[in-house]
Amino acid sequence: MTGGRRAGGQPGGRAGAVLVRGSLLLWFLLPLVPLVLWAAAERWSAPAVLPQRWGTAGWSAAAEAGAAPAFARSLLLGAAVAAIATPAGALAARALAHGLVHRSRLVSALLLAPVALPPFAVVMGLNVLLLRARVPALVGVVAVLVVAALPYTTYVLRVAYAGYDTSYEEEARLLGATPRAVWWRVRLPLLAPALAGAAFLAFLVGWSDYIVTVLIGGGRLVTYPLLIASAASGVGNEAVVAVLSLTSLLPPLALLLLAGASGLRGRGGRGRPSPAAAAAPAREVVVR
Amino acid sequence: MLVAPALVPTVAVLVAGLAAALAQSLGLVPLVGRPELSAQAYLDVRPDLLTATGLSLGIAAASSALAAGVGLLTALLVVRGAAGRRLLRFASAVPIPVPHLVGAASMGLLLSDSGLLARLVGDQGSWPALVHGPWPVAVVAAYAWKESAFVALVVAGALATRVASYEETAAVLGAGRWARFRFVTWPLVTPPLAAATAITFVYTLGSYEVAWLLGPVHPEPLPVLAQRLFTSPDLTARPQALAVAVVTAALALAATVATLAALRRTATWR
Repeated sequence: MTGGRRAGGQPGGRAGAVLVRGSLLLWFLLPLVPLVLWAAAERWSAPAVLPQRWGTAGWSAAAEAGAAPAFARSLLLGAAVAAIATPAGALAARALAHGLVHRSRLVSALLLAPVALPPFAVVMGLNVLLLRARVPALVGVVAVLVVAALPYTTYVLRVAYAGYDTSYEEEARLLGATPRAVWWRVRLPLLAPALAGAAFLAFLVGWSDYIVTVLIGGGRLVTYPLLIASAASGVGNEAVVAVLSLTSLLPPLALLLLAGASGLRGRGGRGRPSPAAAAAPAREVVVR
Repeated sequence: MLVAPALVPTVAVLVAGLAAALAQSLGLVPLVGRPELSAQAYLDVRPDLLTATGLSLGIAAASSALAAGVGLLTALLVVRGAAGRRLLRFASAVPIPVPHLVGAASMGLLLSDSGLLARLVGDQGSWPALVHGPWPVAVVAAYAWKESAFVALVVAGALATRVASYEETAAVLGAGRWARFRFVTWPLVTPPLAAATAITFVYTLGSYEVAWLLGPVHPEPLPVLAQRLFTSPDLTARPQALAVAVVTAALALAATVATLAALRRTATWR
């Protein structure tokens, strides 16, 4: 019990710490290794530890299976969900953070409720209503996914609004800025990181959804996850599964890099942490 | 009303969906024949429903326990300024943007009897049936992998701002390592850990694709059972599917309410 000494102080503790860290790295990274190997394998039959022949067969097979149009459909679906759920969540978050809502506890609970309910259960019930009301499948899918995304956008932006200092706006008004200028040049830049985080989460909800699209679309709306699922449930498609899976990580990664780049640029100018910094843990309530 | 664009679709979808699910499960919206209030669907599906409930609760409990343990350990190591923390922080963020379906597909390529691990071990004949086998090992692994990253992120985010300064104060006042963990870190960690674990549990209970892709063929987990009945050509199976859906939703809601009640009692939760 040596007071304030760090764990790495004793040699025995150090070996243990390295072992623990190594296992954790393996735990997080190993599951993606087969994807990388299979995506580059032309032939890789059973007992071999590494592919016998490398090549791009999986890529052409994925293209033949309709990867490109499905990819585009999923991009549009994610963008539509983000485009609706982010502003709607921002309005609700602002109203809740500024105390403009009656029964705000009940309203917040209702807005978070979709997280607590299995999507398949809600959609199986809803399906018969959508069919009888002749709602087009695409509209139904977008509507349900927007509802699934709203808890995340509302929560992230609510945290951001709670840490938002309105005195910046007052100061700008005092210096003669018009309300329009305040909106564009003060509020939007200050909230931009949180808005980007919220939009990212909403995009992911649309981008990765499987069950809602299957149940409402009835298999006719073929998004990227539907393609992955149909390949993964078959036999002998490992290379296609790997190619589709790996490429499905590209849009989220591109968005993260984009957000990271603009975040770095924005941070240089400001002397205070952005409201989104407070939202950072919440941002990743993520990706369900 | 500023909340209307968010609140109206949420309430409409949830209320309409759950009410319609309940009505269909009770025989009020039959695809063929006359509407008639009855609990027949629940009785018909009862044997399967009971085993599916047990299996799904087991999967959810095992996945969230594993995710909580690994996530907490990762968060503590990432927050403590120790060697390799940047690498660990990066690695633990990797599963975050990966869709569950992709995580499941990848776990299948890792754990199946022709998967990477079986090949590395070399003896494929004795490799246990982790995918589609009697024990849902691959399902739990896929959920735990993805959700441990989520737990780590939430817990590390909650700890990052406060734990260092509190621990220093405690150390200056003479607290040993165990005392600092027990009286400083643990109270700070419990609310976010409990919340993240509960979210994991509820999500795992009601999520379809991982359980379908990797899970046992018989008995089936709740969402898989519901989907099979829902898409069955036998039209009388539809109310049974909705009965399974209603039971799953009730279980998820009960777990959420229990967690909120428990969190409200802990003093540090604000």
